[in-house]
Amino acid sequence: MKTNKLLIFSIFCLVFFLHSVAQKRIEPSIEDIEQATNLKEKFDKDDAIAITRSNEFVTFNFNKKSNKVTVNHNVTEDLINLDDRADIQKYYFYDGESRITDFDIFYKNKKKAYFLVIDEAYTNQGLFHNDSRVKYINIDFPLKGYKYTSVFKEEIDDIKYFTKIYFQDEYPIAYKKIEIEIPNWLEIELKEINFDGYDIKKEVVVNKKSDSKTHIFTVTNISAKYNETSTPGPTYIYPHILILSKSFTKNGQKTLLFNETKDLYNWYKSLTNQLKNDNELIKDKVTELTKDVQNDDEKVKNIYYWVQDNIRYIAFEDGIAGFKPDEATNVFTKKYGDCKGMANLTKQMLLEAGFDARLVWIGTKRIAYDYSTPSLSVDNHMICALVKDGKTTFLDATEKFNPFGEYAHRIQGKQALIENGDDFILKTVPNKNVSFNNEIINYNFTLENEDLVGNSRKEYHGERRTDFLYNISNTKNDKKEESLKKYLNHDNINLKVSNIDTSDLDNRDASLKISYDLTIKNAVSSFDNEIYVNLDFDKELASYNFKERKLDFVFSSKKMLESTTNLTIPNNYKISKLPEDILITSKNYDLSVRFSQQANIISYKKEFSIKNAVIETSDFEEWNDFNTKLNKIYNEQIILIKQ
Amino acid sequence: MKFKLLIVLLLTIISFSNAQSKQELEAKDFFWGANDAYKNANEIPDKWKGESAVIIYKNINYDYHKFAKKVKYKSSIRKRILLLDKNAVKEFSEFSFTKRFRSTRGKFSWRTRGKVFFAIKIIKPDGTEIEVNVDKEAVKSKSDYKVAISNLEVGDIIDYYYYLYEPFTSKYEYTFAAVEQTLSEEYPIMDFKLYLESENDFFINFKSLNGAPELKEIPTDKRNFRKYELNVSDIEKKDFPMWFYPLLETPSVKFQVYFARSGKFEDRTVAFLSKQEKDIKTSVSKEEVLELYKKRFRTYGNVGDIKSFLKGKTFSSNEAKVKTAYYYMRHYYLTRFMEAFYVDDANILAFPFTVYGYPVFIRNQKQFIKHFTEFLKRNKIPYEIVVGTYRYNGTIQDLLIENNVEVLVKVKTKNPLYAQFFSPHTNINQFASLLHGTDVYLLSSDNRGNITGINNGTLPNSDYKKNVSLKQVDLDISEDFTTFTVISNNKIKGYNKISEQYDRLLFTDYVYEDYAKYQTKSFTESIRKKKVRLKTTKELNALISKLKKDQIKEFETDVANEFDVSDIENYEYKLVATGRYGLDTNLEYNESFTFKNQFIKKAGPNYIIEIGKFIGGQIEMVDEQRERNVNIYMRYPRTFNYEINLKIPNGYKVAGLDKLNKNVTNTTGAFISTAKVENGFLKIQTSKQYKHNYEPKENWNLILAFLDEANQFKNEKILLKKI
Repeated sequence: MKTNKLLIFSIFCLVFFLHSVAQKRIEPSIEDIEQATNLKEKFDKDDAIAITRSNEFVTFNFNKKSNKVTVNHNVTEDLINLDDRADIQKYYFYDGESRITDFDIFYKNKKKAYFLVIDEAYTNQGLFHNDSRVKYINIDFPLKGYKYTSVFKEEIDDIKYFTKIYFQDEYPIAYKKIEIEIPNWLEIELKEINFDGYDIKKEVVVNKKSDSKTHIFTVTNISAKYNETSTPGPTYIYPHILILSKSFTKNGQKTLLFNETKDLYNWYKSLTNQLKNDNELIKDKVTELTKDVQNDDEKVKNIYYWVQDNIRYIAFEDGIAGFKPDEATNVFTKKYGDCKGMANLTKQMLLEAGFDARLVWIGTKRIAYDYSTPSLSVDNHMICALVKDGKTTFLDATEKFNPFGEYAHRIQGKQALIENGDDFILKTVPNKNVSFNNEIINYNFTLENEDLVGNSRKEYHGERRTDFLYNISNTKNDKKEESLKKYLNHDNINLKVSNIDTSDLDNRDASLKISYDLTIKNAVSSFDNEIYVNLDFDKELASYNFKERKLDFVFSSKKMLESTTNLTIPNNYKISKLPEDILITSKNYDLSVRFSQQANIISYKKEFSIKNAVIETSDFEEWNDFNTKLNKIYNEQIILIKQ
Repeated sequence: MKFKLLIVLLLTIISFSNAQSKQELEAKDFFWGANDAYKNANEIPDKWKGESAVIIYKNINYDYHKFAKKVKYKSSIRKRILLLDKNAVKEFSEFSFTKRFRSTRGKFSWRTRGKVFFAIKIIKPDGTEIEVNVDKEAVKSKSDYKVAISNLEVGDIIDYYYYLYEPFTSKYEYTFAAVEQTLSEEYPIMDFKLYLESENDFFINFKSLNGAPELKEIPTDKRNFRKYELNVSDIEKKDFPMWFYPLLETPSVKFQVYFARSGKFEDRTVAFLSKQEKDIKTSVSKEEVLELYKKRFRTYGNVGDIKSFLKGKTFSSNEAKVKTAYYYMRHYYLTRFMEAFYVDDANILAFPFTVYGYPVFIRNQKQFIKHFTEFLKRNKIPYEIVVGTYRYNGTIQDLLIENNVEVLVKVKTKNPLYAQFFSPHTNINQFASLLHGTDVYLLSSDNRGNITGINNGTLPNSDYKKNVSLKQVDLDISEDFTTFTVISNNKIKGYNKISEQYDRLLFTDYVYEDYAKYQTKSFTESIRKKKVRLKTTKELNALISKLKKDQIKEFETDVANEFDVSDIENYEYKLVATGRYGLDTNLEYNESFTFKNQFIKKAGPNYIIEIGKFIGGQIEMVDEQRERNVNIYMRYPRTFNYEINLKIPNGYKVAGLDKLNKNVTNTTGAFISTAKVENGFLKIQTSKQYKHNYEPKENWNLILAFLDEANQFKNEKILLKKI
């Protein structure tokens, strides 16, 4: 009995001792704290933690059963807290083609930290259903310099889904090593993208024993991915290795993977070839839409607009459904589908109507690559092409209110892979000039007491019109008028809008016209014999200052504005001085603000043209200078002096 | 053998799945069966043709059945809706639902599981009915199922039901969640029917409010089975304005159901039950309130700690003694544990509360009442227990649901003191603003702490002159007229400070204040083991440091939002006083910051200053809000004062002072502003006052008058004119 007690006491003491020792070993040392301070100085002030060392190791195997090349992807990262305290979430995604086999966090002393690993379905607002899942761990770093090691292991069933490795992470990395061991039976091209400006070192080690080569990439002190909005897609800005799996040779037999674009097309085509395309159910609708129409364009429009208006965008990305279109009749019956489903329905309806219509794979502007890169990461969208009289017209039914023959900015200038039987055609979606999206605004004001009273006419073209029509069509019937008023008065009670007249809000082919009367309170201040007038309540681009910005600013589409405000000067008043004009022209934009006076009318004209829908970092200095001047004008008052 | 087992297993599965489909069919028959009176209801009145959607029929059912301890609870809802625009189609194009779930009611059971039957059909304009195959089309999401509705178009009718079947076992009494809702909802409703079914042992409290029809009993064949219905037609969509309590004016229903198997459990149920199950309870009398609470509010608690604290202290009055005791209790029973809460939340130390041994910890309002009255009883200080209900529930005479009761203590000192269950900053004489000015019941006790009587009473209302926020703002303009330097001193008292205290005070601001006041050991000092103490102290300090940095970032954003400016720079914040010992004491803090190129407009050689913007955002009433046909309910009367001192730049004079002198004062409130130039400063004082917490709708224009004037002040400018 006594012995037992002694034993228990000894065990208790030992556990307590080990716990104390262990505790001591995981607390940050002076060196750790110093390291955290140095890293904090080196990286962005908002970085809560840093990765002191990240080792990413990729190997490949062959699965005889599935006849597929599989991937083992292991990541080991040493994390350090740069702040007083940090609470972060470490997470990894997986799906039906992959498994996370290991995800653990270890203390500095290599002992496992038993944080709870949460595994749940990944929900994304844009996707109704997908097979992606996420495993995550909430990790707390109680002190500055506190360290953990994260170990992650993943298995991917098919090499074609393993397309790229980025060097950067959510956190800055002091040292990063990526090792890709490629067995000699596997042909892979490692394409280096966006390496310029980064000191990425490379070496290749030949492993005789395992009959393979290891490609080793290392980089030091690489910043975290930027937390900015309206940026170019990540494939444009971050250094990464694109993994192009070409072929593998087993038992003397060579199997092609995605060696060239044709292989990629063949795989896509093999999926679309599985479609039954039994169009029985859609025939009546096609007849209804085309029967009394003589003009081919009108027939196409009727079909294209019907799909836009009647098929809701709902995306299912579950396994192969992420790549294979749904049957046209399914989409037709369900009245919903994703881009592939809508493209296929458009195609089948056009075929039924006797047109030559094709499926088109395309990468939107978020993706930097074109089809010279045979990889699943080249595209993310599907549309339809009408081939008629030697001319190809693209139809994207996901773009609601998009008129026939017009293209959304997100696909303009992008290479399209068009089906053509066993072969394919590559064509580029035409770019539209900025004037295509022109927005014309006219205000005419007179002064009545301390109010500006007048009217406004607005005319929207291109995507500006499309966006407006889409938004108003999705507004509740009983709220449409109120919403339109709020839109026109910017939700500012000083602006009273009345007598609104619009062109047909269902007509996507014509430009949109809106006219209304307007009274603006508190725009005019009278002091003694002087009247001060604020002429601008729209103040476009006022907040577009890129002082702190690191990345190009990307607009959703090209922007063009022609805004003219005319103010009639009251009798017995003359104008004191007009603000100075601005005129700037460059590759990406033309910007001008002009004031003039003719008889008793002051004309204030803004012409803004963002020609390529982007302001590049190299533009920032000039742009910010323009923005300062513009805001100065927005802040200036027109002064009328009593004569 | 194995084969036999397989057959048995298969048979079990088949019979199980048959049973399932039987229930499912029952649900279907219930809503869409031969007796469905709405099967062909497809037309809507002309007046609603411009709506987004119209609910042709809405039906809600609650069924309460039992067999001994086993309760079978069913609730279901059906809606038949005509979709009139794309917005409505989008709204009803996706549904999510749970198929099976484990009930959280009654006794936990691994075996008993609840089920949900969800079905949808679409009725096309030509009358064709298409039932969605939910089982086939639903996909599993995180923890539930989602279904995208096929073939849904504008002009269709969507007809769906959720049928929840939830059996559970309750050995003891069980109270179902109260239902308190307006009849109106987002879309207009042509016909609404509510059905309740119950058996003996289920007690129902039900009340129709504000013109909603009464619940009617439908005769049944069985003596112990009851059925009730409520029918309403032609319900306009809800459109609730600001400052409105819908349950007070909009047709609504309130009800709650209680399960109590015997008199013993009826007694134990904390609810106002009818004498017999067959009677629907529609009101609660004063006597019933006394009956329910006389046992439940008997004084109880270990107040030895307070006694020790007060020992040796002398007080000029009982009032002073009660105040001292209240603040001590707030510390001893709450704020001294705050560090442990943070330590626990941040995973700094496992089981941090063990550091305190077995302390008294007050968890709820009722426990507080018992404990505090125990202290009063022992000190022979007379008191009453106040039983009230929040204004948005109606008056105390309208009381029906026990959960809507709020309790506090009225200490019958020379100037009565009110004490409510404290949170970290609650002052004596501070109680929920939603009780201000309301009629209440007062429970009186004998000197042994037994509740003996009940009287009517009224709680005092609050005064706009006592709930005051004062912001003194010193403004300086840079020589190049680009930058404002703003230094502000903020003093907030009365009910205005309550939410501000939660925003402004970090736990360290008040916990250490209390430690110093009461000479209490801090959490970390209470840790016995040195190593643990050192580690915890270090990690807690790191947490505090982080929280302080985060707090400053938040304040910077707050001040930018308050003045509607961007790019605040040089932000500094200093807390001057916490305002935690007296409702009339100020929460006080200072802020300073600069911002550029905002509120200054160049006008030739002169500058226009948008001086009105410095009184912060004002309520803007748009056209739709200016018409009002319901009364106005606010939290409490209040005053917002500003004192703005603008240093006039050398070489300039101020023009436009006349517009800064405003005065709209009426019975509902006021906006008053004065401006003068004195010693090189433009000095502006503004005061915006909301005088009452309630105004009849007839006074809406009076409220608009001072709100508009304040908003107009926000738009006013002055001219700095070059001399």
